[in-house]
Amino acid sequence: MFMGQTNYKSEDDFALERLQDILLREDRSELDELRSILYEKEKLSKKVSPIIREHLEFLKENFSSEYESIINELIDKKLKQSEQELLDAIYPSLGKMISKYVTLQMSTLKESIENSVKSKFSFGRSMKSFFTGVKESELIIKDAVVSTIEEVYVIQRDSGLLIANASNKNSMDQDVVAGMLTAIKSFVEDAFNKDSQDLEMIEYGSYKIIIQSYYSFYIAIAVSGAVSASERGGLAIRLDAFADTQMKQFKGKIDSSGEELSILLGEAFIDS
Amino acid sequence: MTISKKVILTGSFGVGKTSLFNQFIHQKFSDKYLTTIGVKVNKKSLKVNDEEISLLVWDIAGEVTQDKVPTSYFLGASGVVYVIDLSRPLTFEGIKTDIEYLKKLLPGGIVKVVGNKKDLLTEDEIEEARAQIKLPIDIVTSAKTGENVTALFTNLAEELL
Repeated sequence: MFMGQTNYKSEDDFALERLQDILLREDRSELDELRSILYEKEKLSKKVSPIIREHLEFLKENFSSEYESIINELIDKKLKQSEQELLDAIYPSLGKMISKYVTLQMSTLKESIENSVKSKFSFGRSMKSFFTGVKESELIIKDAVVSTIEEVYVIQRDSGLLIANASNKNSMDQDVVAGMLTAIKSFVEDAFNKDSQDLEMIEYGSYKIIIQSYYSFYIAIAVSGAVSASERGGLAIRLDAFADTQMKQFKGKIDSSGEELSILLGEAFIDS
Repeated sequence: MTISKKVILTGSFGVGKTSLFNQFIHQKFSDKYLTTIGVKVNKKSLKVNDEEISLLVWDIAGEVTQDKVPTSYFLGASGVVYVIDLSRPLTFEGIKTDIEYLKKLLPGGIVKVVGNKKDLLTEDEIEEARAQIKLPIDIVTSAKTGENVTALFTNLAEELL
């Protein structure tokens, strides 16, 4: 403290303070109020929440127009950076999806052609169909859409043991295939047992295993490509005919006659 | 001509059915425990008494009691291999009921009781387990070391012929 100074306020200081008090009272009280809002979470939240909510509402309605270009830019950048990884991830699924879609579309196409052919007359085609016994619709799309019988199995119904089989390719052990098919069939029929119904088809991508059950055996046919409902119906008739003519003498037994039966099976379904 | 026979591998879970199956079919053993979902079928051909026999082995997912296994899996089976884990008494608590059930389900079928995981026990402990089990064990095996695995299936094949 300097010499001559005292702790007492002069009259001037006092007057100045009073003046300040009068002039700034309102501002000071507002400042205090603002401080209390700023430092008390609850009060601050009460004030800020409606603003945030309002902004969020605004964003909800205007997000795309406001940020579209920035997001697009970011996505483009990210996609370019990880193009290879992305392709690796989606490529296998994409192939399967395309194959499945094409098969489905082909089946639909076959059905629709069949329906339209029913209502349109073509003398030449009708004659050919008449003499060959092949449906007109099948003649039209014969070369475009081909379904192929790949394998045929005659399997003992209860045990799943293979009675006979014919195939146009070297697949895995046929006895194991017959066993696994029976296991799947038994599982499905046990799990979803509804009025003793049989599993009739297993679908895997563009590959179908059509199953026709008889009393002591069942026949499983593996077909690749699109199979229309009428083709399936035709196949069922051929299977019934085969069961009726050939299987009766074999009586569903597993013996040396299985080889003979396999030849007949091949002639009836694979080579035809 | 090869004779084909269906054989079921069954028992409680974790007793080593799949390990016996893999040891018999592929001569392989893995310490990793992977529970079987549904059924796995595989084939092994054996020559017994100058005759070729194909065993179609159905490795079935383990169930605590046999009446929980879908009966359709047993249809047409000529033999059943009922596996227990000698080191876990819980796996042979219901053995009597299970074997009775299987014999009723497959009249004329051959049922073999197999005590597996021999490698985990001493001779004394195996004898102790035998005393606890209410039925005679046909063969004691180790899927891990392969001990008696081929013998089990060869004996079964001989009886099936």
